[in-house]
Amino acid sequence: MPRRTLLMFLLVLCAGRLAAQDLGNLQIHGFATQGFLYSSANNYLTMPSSHGSLQWTEGAISVNDSLSDSLRVGMQIHMYQMGQIGGPRIAVDWASGDYRLNDQLGFRAGKIKLPMGLYNDAQDVDSLFLWTLLPQGIYPVDNRDYDLALLGVEAYGERSLGARGGRVQYSAYYGESTLDPDGGYLLQLSEYGATFPHPPSGRDFGGDLRWVTPLWGLMVGASAQSQAMDGAGPEGSLHMAPVFLPAYYAEWKKGKASFEAEYWRSPMCPVLTLGPEVFAAAFDQRALYGMASYQVTQKLQVGAYYSHNVNKAADTSLAENYSKDWVVSGRYNFNQYFYGKVEGHFLRGTGLGYYTSTNPNGLQPNANMLAARIGFTF
Amino acid sequence: MTGKRKTQLWMAVMGIAFACVAARAQDVVIVANRSVVASQISEAQLREIFTGVRSRLNDGTRTVPVLLKGGAVHEVFLHHYVRDNPEEFRTRWHKAVFTGQGSMPKEFGSEAELLNYVEATPGAIGYVSRVNEKNSVKVLRVLQ
Repeated sequence: MPRRTLLMFLLVLCAGRLAAQDLGNLQIHGFATQGFLYSSANNYLTMPSSHGSLQWTEGAISVNDSLSDSLRVGMQIHMYQMGQIGGPRIAVDWASGDYRLNDQLGFRAGKIKLPMGLYNDAQDVDSLFLWTLLPQGIYPVDNRDYDLALLGVEAYGERSLGARGGRVQYSAYYGESTLDPDGGYLLQLSEYGATFPHPPSGRDFGGDLRWVTPLWGLMVGASAQSQAMDGAGPEGSLHMAPVFLPAYYAEWKKGKASFEAEYWRSPMCPVLTLGPEVFAAAFDQRALYGMASYQVTQKLQVGAYYSHNVNKAADTSLAENYSKDWVVSGRYNFNQYFYGKVEGHFLRGTGLGYYTSTNPNGLQPNANMLAARIGFTF
Repeated sequence: MTGKRKTQLWMAVMGIAFACVAARAQDVVIVANRSVVASQISEAQLREIFTGVRSRLNDGTRTVPVLLKGGAVHEVFLHHYVRDNPEEFRTRWHKAVFTGQGSMPKEFGSEAELLNYVEATPGAIGYVSRVNEKNSVKVLRVLQ
């Protein structure tokens, strides 16, 4: 682990020197982070967090170039290791061509990030956030790579509604998304005895509409996605009929304070067939969060949020069917490249982030956790 | 101190503070390449150009925003016209870069370098503390 961390830091430092050179329109950016979790009970996110764990390293390098006034191409490679999730495999985070006809209409094609809710497309870029962990009810870090991007096309744009109307931004996409071969969903399926030589995938389409209101700092929006999935392996198959996933969100920035809230609903019924046995798991996840943050100084930011996720299709009195998390957080920017974060979690319920393989003796319904992260970005 | 005198004192302090802020904003000159047809630009347009929301002016001219790497002029420009501090501004652009939605505007270490680039690049828009007759750039008036 320390060797991998060192390698990642060396990689981004070398790339940072490249970026400092004049490369015309070619731009190189990147980031690297190292995380730490320590929980009072249970092992979270496949890390041995109850003993304190540093098994959380991430890094990415992005290259992009403007080929003409309207055409831009780029690519980002990403590596992460979080306990048993992720690994040394370097994955393409996104790789796309972007043709911007005008401000009202542009197109992207390739592997593109999914605009869903406030943060879906940016959730793997740690340096953007105050939070060490985003609200896990909506942005589960262990299944992030599946939710993050798809192979397909996107149309996007924005239109002014005049001085009194604000501005609308819109996008629509269509493509195919594939489960991360090193991600949490496949790890959970393997715990049931189902393996997949080729990760299950399915057609996705959806869109996002956000209104930057004339009321200074207030933005509201909604996203919707249709998602389906199929996959087969030596032990059986996985099928999920197309489901409709809506999301609603709002953001308000006032001076040094900002407030955000989201509500997502995910009703789905994946069917796992293992030989003669058929397992249908009904989910109706209702997830929401409310967060507030304050920029104390130019270098110090503090905040808190409450994240809530309940499976309404199951007995919500059982800890395994809900996850509630009160969080307090702080971030300090040492300079424009280096930062550190510390966060306290008060977890209630075991509905998210826990795996049988790393909790063989069962789970306590509640746990408190310290999360910290240092990062470098350029 | 009587209530009336306190009020007068506060008004004086506020007046001085306001005058200082206004003076600092006036120290920033918005410059553009001579290919830009417009001679004035609104604050809202400036903000949209420098946050990547808008890539063209109302007359259709494509814009190329350029930045100073740091310093007082950079901070005043961001504070007054973009309404971001340098940290927020960098985060905003990093989001565009790392999600594949945009490229960072070019940054220059000195006003002279920035002015040279603006002179040579059609559509370029930037900011400096002052220009002189030797600089072949257009100065844009900013409308409130």
